[in-house]
Amino acid sequence: MAITRRELITNIGKAGVPVAVAMTMSTVGAGTLQAEEVPVPSAPVGLLYDASLCIGCKACESACNAANDTPPDTSGDGLHQAPIDLNVFTRNIIKLYKPEDGSASSFVKRQCMHCFDPGCVAGCPFEALYKDEDTGAVRWDGGKCIGCRYCTISCPYSVPRFQWAGINPVITKCELCSHRLVKGLKPGCTSVCPVGAVIFGPRTVLLLEAKRRIKNNPGRYYQDRVYGETDNGGTQCLYLSKVPFEKLGLPELGPESVPSKSLRWQKRIYSYFALPALLYAGLVTVIRKNVKGHEQEAHEQEKETGLRAQL
Amino acid sequence: MSSTNANHAPSTVPASVPVNVYKTRWERAVPVFGFPVVTPFFIVLVGLAVIAFLLTSYREVVGLGPVTGMNDKFGWGIWKTFNVVVLTAWGSGAFAVGIAAWVFGRKRLHTLMRMALLTSMLAYACGLCLLGVDVGRPWNFYWVLFPWNWNVHSPMAEVAVCMSVYASIPLFLENIPPVLERLWHFDARWRPNVERVEHALHYFFPFIIALAYLLPAMHQSSLGALMLLAGDRVHPLWQSPFLPLLYVGAAAFMSFGCVAGSTMLCCLVWKRAMDMEVLDEAARITAWLIFGWMAIRLLAVLLRGALLDAFRFDRYAGIFWVEMILIGYGGWMLLQSLKTHKFRTMFLGYALSSVGGMLYRFSPTTLAYMPGPHAIYFPSTIELLIAMGFVAVGIAAFLVMVKLFAILPAPIQDWRDMAAYFKARKPYISWTKYFNFGFFGDKLPTDPTR
Repeated sequence: MAITRRELITNIGKAGVPVAVAMTMSTVGAGTLQAEEVPVPSAPVGLLYDASLCIGCKACESACNAANDTPPDTSGDGLHQAPIDLNVFTRNIIKLYKPEDGSASSFVKRQCMHCFDPGCVAGCPFEALYKDEDTGAVRWDGGKCIGCRYCTISCPYSVPRFQWAGINPVITKCELCSHRLVKGLKPGCTSVCPVGAVIFGPRTVLLLEAKRRIKNNPGRYYQDRVYGETDNGGTQCLYLSKVPFEKLGLPELGPESVPSKSLRWQKRIYSYFALPALLYAGLVTVIRKNVKGHEQEAHEQEKETGLRAQL
Repeated sequence: MSSTNANHAPSTVPASVPVNVYKTRWERAVPVFGFPVVTPFFIVLVGLAVIAFLLTSYREVVGLGPVTGMNDKFGWGIWKTFNVVVLTAWGSGAFAVGIAAWVFGRKRLHTLMRMALLTSMLAYACGLCLLGVDVGRPWNFYWVLFPWNWNVHSPMAEVAVCMSVYASIPLFLENIPPVLERLWHFDARWRPNVERVEHALHYFFPFIIALAYLLPAMHQSSLGALMLLAGDRVHPLWQSPFLPLLYVGAAAFMSFGCVAGSTMLCCLVWKRAMDMEVLDEAARITAWLIFGWMAIRLLAVLLRGALLDAFRFDRYAGIFWVEMILIGYGGWMLLQSLKTHKFRTMFLGYALSSVGGMLYRFSPTTLAYMPGPHAIYFPSTIELLIAMGFVAVGIAAFLVMVKLFAILPAPIQDWRDMAAYFKARKPYISWTKYFNFGFFGDKLPTDPTR
């Protein structure tokens, strides 16, 4: 018996069901989904900030402004550059943690952490925030950004800032002075630090240096741990501190990155778009049948009442 | 005479009489006739819309900061978190009622479909327009047309793409039939062309409808997935891997409340008889959707280990209980109304569960969002006025649409009443034979008593 066109299409569709299920299921068992999908930069560079060395001189703040050509934020009293937090003029800030009970206090430098798997990049709808293929710096492309401000919510460190005033608002965040890196210059903040509390270099070298400091100064650093080695899936900016990292605004996020933890099911359900396609095919099949029945009833009613069928 | 017609019901229902004694059967969508479009309420709505439009142009010039209460900590204000996240869920009738009618074969719910489609289209259109005002760099939105630029695993990309595609293609096409119907009745010379378009539309209808269920399922769940990336900044009573599922579920029962509740309200305002068979079916579905949803909600809280947080004496626990009580009590009232057939109980059930659902959809982004110790957000006056204005546009458009097109369900007799009304009130129709509705062509009933 010859196969009609309809049968052919139906059979192909039926064959697609196990394929779609298999494609979706194949991603469920895979534990390393994230590692496969987030490309690792070829030569990740970063910062090592040792909070126990920082003297809080804020030279890095003004150096950052100079390097990025942003005006100093003097909104406090109109005289001093004294921003309260990161803002559209301030990509880098020194804060002070000083507990009231008189225990150890510490300065902390805040800027983008340049995560290996950044929440802002994972959330950005049209890839306006992206990770530089070579340096791994998280950068912003104004030609793609729609200004939805999702990055201000999806960044676990609350770093990106939206420009609230003006007709052409931008997203401001530390981009690791990528424009200076291509000229062979260090990022602004690391070029002025008088005590070497923040240094620039390849991440592997920085990590070795941090571990050397921990080894040479036992008991000096909190948990003898480098923040950013594995935190949030690893960050390119590394921290050493005497006080708990959480007190400095660096949350304990665990070794798995926030996007890989929270978007796991999202990724599985939409992998290859197989499951939605299957659902669509199923819906069309059921609805086609029901539409036919509904049309028939409507036309019967039309004959009965003499009023035009409403579909 | 009309009194012999089983379908006929008195146009007004005395409040003291239980509604179910009238055997009203909705069979046909009939435009609202005999009521003027321009009323004081309508003028207020238009006024609000005009104010919002003027303030919007001001916002476009000065930016978001001076106009809104948004700040570095609270990057999202009510334009996103209420007008988009909450109101598109409330207006998901085309999705939830549609699935019940077309997929699960609840045939009587087809009478509510036009209401569902119209409310959905207006909710989405107003929400998306306000989204265009809310985003900082809307001129870059053209990237939505280039799939290779989508960050496919981003919930935000999913929302941006799915919502705009859904509102502009399947939802728009689903709303075409009432317009074509009006054109068909308007002028006999247009009929062949109208019928040709209708034929094409009907051919593709199953594919359009299926798309109109797939896309909302995707973007309503992604609206929940948005807050997953915020991690611990969303209070544990809300933050859960179940957020996407709960967001779709909330959209489902809220949109039943929107469609059935506003249909009941319209019937009350414009003195239409109510078909308790349809309303009972909708109430029954809504009640079970609500109880199923609450079970999943409690399961999510339990699995997250946040149950004790619900018994702390803080505002988060308070919001949680207000949500649960509003939704649960609303569901219980809906079940009660199935027995007592009291209009008031049923309507309140829809209203309470909808408000509770709105609160639930609003909380993760705003009320239960904890971005820092001193973070505070309260919408500014201009922000509120613009948000209200965009809602007012939707309501005003609804009021115009139900009077121009056949949207609201009614007994068949109402269609004949409408024809009689227009023939009596506008005699030029019988001279010219040109009339929006009520021109029946060859099939004009021959019964001289009509």
